[in-house]
Amino acid sequence: MTRGLWDREMVAMLLLLALMPMALTWLWFGGAEAVGRLLFVLLISGLWHVIFMLARAQPPSFAGALTGLAVAMLAPQELSLLQLVLGISFGSVMAELIFGGWGRNVLNPATVTIAFLGFGFPAAPWPDFALPVAWAAIPALALGMLLGVMSARLIAGALAVILIAWLADLPIAPVLPAFGVVLALLVTDPVTSASTRTGGWLNGALYGALVTLFAFGWGHGAPVQVAVSAALLASLAAPLLDEIAIALWTARRRRRHG
Amino acid sequence: MSSQPRLWTTFTEPLIRQNPVTLQILGICSALAVTTSVATALTMSASLTAVLVMSAGIISVIRNHIPSSIRLIVQIVIVASLVIVIDQLLQAYLFEISQRLSVFVSLITTNCLVLGRTESFARHNPPGRAMIDALGNGLGYSLVLILIGSLRELFGAGTLLDWQLLPTVDQGGWFTPLNLMLLAPSGFFLLGGLVWAIRSLLPEQVEAGEFTPPETGEDGA
Repeated sequence: MTRGLWDREMVAMLLLLALMPMALTWLWFGGAEAVGRLLFVLLISGLWHVIFMLARAQPPSFAGALTGLAVAMLAPQELSLLQLVLGISFGSVMAELIFGGWGRNVLNPATVTIAFLGFGFPAAPWPDFALPVAWAAIPALALGMLLGVMSARLIAGALAVILIAWLADLPIAPVLPAFGVVLALLVTDPVTSASTRTGGWLNGALYGALVTLFAFGWGHGAPVQVAVSAALLASLAAPLLDEIAIALWTARRRRRHG
Repeated sequence: MSSQPRLWTTFTEPLIRQNPVTLQILGICSALAVTTSVATALTMSASLTAVLVMSAGIISVIRNHIPSSIRLIVQIVIVASLVIVIDQLLQAYLFEISQRLSVFVSLITTNCLVLGRTESFARHNPPGRAMIDALGNGLGYSLVLILIGSLRELFGAGTLLDWQLLPTVDQGGWFTPLNLMLLAPSGFFLLGGLVWAIRSLLPEQVEAGEFTPPETGEDGA
């Protein structure tokens, strides 16, 4: 759908722009290894985009770079190249490309890739962030809201729940950096998050609640694993939350107008 | 009965072109549950094929005597009796595998595949033809089960029929087992991928779309 300036690539570019503060901080602290990882992920996911362009005439999208960035930052460490190729191929093909490309997918391909690698190779250690990377999630989220490509309601909902958990003295401090980074990279994805207003609040709140629950009850869960699993479940529930929002709206209309 | 297809066609059709699992999406539950290893997949395939062929034969023999109003009850009684026999045989001679299959052998009774074939084919056809159709369907089911079972066992544990094909890292080899393959979701992925592959090769199996998307005015739309 194109409306004025707004087409799919515009949204993808603005999202990339919004994530820049965090991505650049991460590259700065990660050094050459991080750059190499990012390039490798981009190469594999780009390859699949080209294959689907040739086979199905699906236009490739800059959103592939978003997926690549998220996978490079969040996927478990110390995987062999073959395992990484397997995970990225599964994620981009099964979660995005077979649905017809970015904008038609149900789940975020990066979330699926990371969850696949995490559950498929449970022995691989999860990444840990330098604190500045987590702090950089705040300008990334702010920029995304300002440019209108991330849902402010979703972010507010997630933060509200985390704030309540914080005030209730629940042990969520160790997962907070991962919570912020995953919120910016995966949960606020405009395609796979809830698209109604109430749905946005619910989606954010659900993500926050799941992170709190997992931080509290998941004995050996690494912070990133906790946050990614919460993101996966929250985006699975997003269509349901939209459905609830629409049902509430219809019920209200019916009560008011008969 | 000159319009009847030949017996050979009745037998070969359900192997791939009319495959009960990948085309009619029947018997999915057991296909997901028992395919973590080839041994269980083989046992399950053999049990289901045996039950299917025998029940098709029996129901076909008495097809003209079954009152239509109670036909489902009669069919289920016959199928259930056969399943109990098979289950007891497995417990007597293959105790370990029957433990790994747990309830899924008894659940053959409720497998849509069995009831589907007896209800739609054996009830209207003579015993010979009904049994050949049942055998074809049983082998079609077995084909899918064994294929998925081999893939899951090979990539999940590096073995085939407990024979180490890919030496795993734990044993000093190079292969890191893909644990996900032993979990239920991978059964879904593989089955979905298989259906996709078959329908890409045989486009006539693709179902008609439920609706046509509206014109969006996008480039190239």
